[in-house]
Amino acid sequence: MPRNYQPGDTFTHVRECDRYRPIYYAGASGDYNPIHIDPEAGTAAGLNGNILQGLCTLGWVVEAIAGFVEDPGRVRRVKARFSRPVRPEDTITFQGRVTAVQDGRLTAEVSATNQRGEDVLKGAVVEAFIG
Amino acid sequence: MALDKQFIGREYGPYRYTLGEEKMREFTLAVGGAKPGAGTPGEPPAHVSPLLHDARAAQAGPHGGLIAFPSFAVVFAIRPFSAALADPALNINLRMVVHGEQDLEFLDVMRPGDVMTTTGRIADLYERARMGFVIVTSESRNQHGALVVKGTWSAIIRG
Repeated sequence: MPRNYQPGDTFTHVRECDRYRPIYYAGASGDYNPIHIDPEAGTAAGLNGNILQGLCTLGWVVEAIAGFVEDPGRVRRVKARFSRPVRPEDTITFQGRVTAVQDGRLTAEVSATNQRGEDVLKGAVVEAFIG
Repeated sequence: MALDKQFIGREYGPYRYTLGEEKMREFTLAVGGAKPGAGTPGEPPAHVSPLLHDARAAQAGPHGGLIAFPSFAVVFAIRPFSAALADPALNINLRMVVHGEQDLEFLDVMRPGDVMTTTGRIADLYERARMGFVIVTSESRNQHGALVVKGTWSAIIRG
């Protein structure tokens, strides 16, 4: 039986950026920008060390909604602004809230905060097919 | 960072990319938190859907086979964006670039063996608060000509 989704429903996803995650993600994605994989390059660029690829954080938003709708093939859109870098050893908590359910499509807003409660994404929105 | 508006509309591509099953699995597991080792993308953490990495389970699933993690699309759809940022005409210092915003629309699932063709263009260039903004849009079509992924990519050039 398909699950009955309602506006106001919530979901949570927690992900840790372990020390080597930017390097693992670089290998898998091809994004080898030195600011992601080399702490010295990140420091030279004024970032106080290396930072996780924003697209990996975006991938975690996709994981959050994919888990909620129980099928990654149903994810239809993901959109966000990267407002603060994610760094090695940060833990990010994603909290989603369904804002609309219409014509077999669900829309949710997602917040993403680090262990200090700071937002790492702004205006994150996901859409998924639930028909 | 002064950006010359004459480059708005500049096009990049087409870029062709064939989706390979192991590469899809590797990406899924790298995002999913696996720890890769020699010759293996690692063991899938419990929250990672079998539809993305277990061919047998995926066969019995809703898509009749393995599918790509949706944002696997960035692996090939990023090409026009990265080409624009590296375009000598724009004269951007790549070390000063950070990813500002991202919008991805997935119009269909992607499967191993799909051949994606991506094109893109510079949709906007502007300066705000002494930082430069480069906006690139992309479209990726599969081997049947169907539009599968639309992207809007935004870079910030710090100073």
